[in-house]
Amino acid sequence: MTLPEIREAVSVALEAIRLNFFRSLLTTIGIAIGTLFVCLMAWLLYGLDTSLNRTIASLGSDMLYADKWDWTGRTRWTEVRSRKDITYWQARAVIEGLRTAEFAVPLVWARGARISAGPITTTDAVVTGTLSLYGKTPSGTTAAGRFFSLAEDRSATPVAVLGYKVAQQLFPKQNPLGKLLHIAGIPFTVIGVVEQQGTIFSSFEDEQIFIPLPMFVRLFGLTKRSFVIAVKAGSEERLELVRHELRGVMRRVRGLAPEAPDDFSINEAQAFREQIAGLRQAVWGTGISMSMLSFVVGIIGIVNIMFVSVAERTYEIGLRKAVGARRRSIALQFLIESALLCLVGASAALAIGNAIALLVRAAIPGTGEFLTPYIPPHHMGIALVVASTAGIIAGWAPAMRAARLHPIVALRHE
Amino acid sequence: MDTPLIVLEKLTKVYSTGAEDVYALRGISLQIRANEFVAIMGPSGSGKSTLLHILGCLDSPTSGRYLFRGRDVSQLNDDELARIRNREIGFVFQAFNLLPRATALKNVELPLIYAGVPAEERRQRARAALEAVGLGDRLSHRPNELSGGQRQRVAIARALVIRPSLILADEPTGNLDTASGQEIMRLFSELWSQGNTIVLVTHEEYIARYAQRIIRLRDGRVESDTPNPEPLSVLVTAEDSHDIAGNS
Repeated sequence: MTLPEIREAVSVALEAIRLNFFRSLLTTIGIAIGTLFVCLMAWLLYGLDTSLNRTIASLGSDMLYADKWDWTGRTRWTEVRSRKDITYWQARAVIEGLRTAEFAVPLVWARGARISAGPITTTDAVVTGTLSLYGKTPSGTTAAGRFFSLAEDRSATPVAVLGYKVAQQLFPKQNPLGKLLHIAGIPFTVIGVVEQQGTIFSSFEDEQIFIPLPMFVRLFGLTKRSFVIAVKAGSEERLELVRHELRGVMRRVRGLAPEAPDDFSINEAQAFREQIAGLRQAVWGTGISMSMLSFVVGIIGIVNIMFVSVAERTYEIGLRKAVGARRRSIALQFLIESALLCLVGASAALAIGNAIALLVRAAIPGTGEFLTPYIPPHHMGIALVVASTAGIIAGWAPAMRAARLHPIVALRHE
Repeated sequence: MDTPLIVLEKLTKVYSTGAEDVYALRGISLQIRANEFVAIMGPSGSGKSTLLHILGCLDSPTSGRYLFRGRDVSQLNDDELARIRNREIGFVFQAFNLLPRATALKNVELPLIYAGVPAEERRQRARAALEAVGLGDRLSHRPNELSGGQRQRVAIARALVIRPSLILADEPTGNLDTASGQEIMRLFSELWSQGNTIVLVTHEEYIARYAQRIIRLRDGRVESDTPNPEPLSVLVTAEDSHDIAGNS
């Protein structure tokens, strides 16, 4: 196959599409719809994954959370509800008993407290009691100001570190650092704002107000509260080791008999991956099956129209063969035509898909946080390759028929 | 020039049309030398078009041998035949057989595309071929903008552009009026006098008289094979020169 032959095949194919533009457009709708489904699916999954990875990063990929509650939802709800709370004393005993972890820190939450800053009052925020070490975890990293210090911990200083959303809600268009804030009537000084963490999976992180644990105890007491022990393993490689030790220590502190099941869960950020696995599969399954269906319909349409094209141009094929076109030159001409047909459809689909991506982001609030305003370029590339492959598959039989035509027979056909 | 350009030995062609076999050629043996101008004649059904198609490597014989430039081409496959058509044989058809949407230049370039000739050289050669047939000023005209005679000259330029060893013409004047037909035949004589080998099929006696040798077919066999000592073009040329002499 020589370069002039290939260029001729491309220009003939382009002319054929141009001459029958409307017919070509209609024919390629199946392929276009198939491409659209694949791309939108890829776009959604890409968004989900981006968001998921951000969640995991914010919770820390080397963090374990010993909790009464199970984050994955795999343990039965009734069983989880009957579990006893993890008390402050148990949390302390576990933290002191751990040897392999980098550090461990207790967390405890109070909801519904009345919080006010100047004229603004809310009960939506969550007050979190913890220790200064929490500032060294990804969820405690401050974007402005600082986390509270060990000294402020010990002395129960009334200082607060705000989650991103709380900061915006209580101090709109202001710098909250150094401002006063009342929690259940007690004044606190804002000393820091934590980096934005929230994703579609949880906005909870951004709705917290961190205060030193002794201060929390003074405000809300210790009864009827279950603690969470946040454990930093130090690296992802150490996760298994630390998880093993944490489980042992937890069982000992909780006084479980050897045959008794765990009455706590050891959670980690990866749990979110399992949580959205179902959603992911649903999106993927729907997208793939819809697009396969469209592709099959599309390919049948293209096969049909290519047979029509071969029949219409039988005389031209005869002439080209008479002056020396070989079988492969003729076949190439039709394969390129059907591949180009599909590429036209796929390109239209990509344009529409990108428009939909922009519209969705503009129309549905919150989607902008995780969905990209365009279909990921490598997915567009894959879509174009898939579409042109579909075109080649669809064009194969008609191209072979054209290539095998006898020149004399073809020339008589007019 | 010892080996003839074309050697046919007991060539047959049988078409199977369902129940019965149709014998188009029943054993043709003949030789054609380089720079001959041969007319093949015969009534319809005599097998003259079939013979021309086999000579032009557009079709293969059922049995017998066809040596083209000393090489047996009777059993070659589709692509090998295409290569010979592409490099060696220029075809001129009764119906011109041009691409309707392509310009004269593009039509003439077509065989060179399949020969892999680069674009610039292709254009130059096609232009030269069109100039040689007197259409140097019609390069970018499409077939429907040309007269019948001009279309056939485009087809002849397309045959010439590959510098063929053999030019085959199937009733090249069949679709033309008498004046245009004579014009085309004069062009063929001129090409012959320049050293080309031409085989043409016709059923009109006055067309055949341009050739140097006339082969008549009947029922798939050679009925007669006679030289034409005074090809028409020579006479015309003589008359022309006589006129010029008379006028001066």
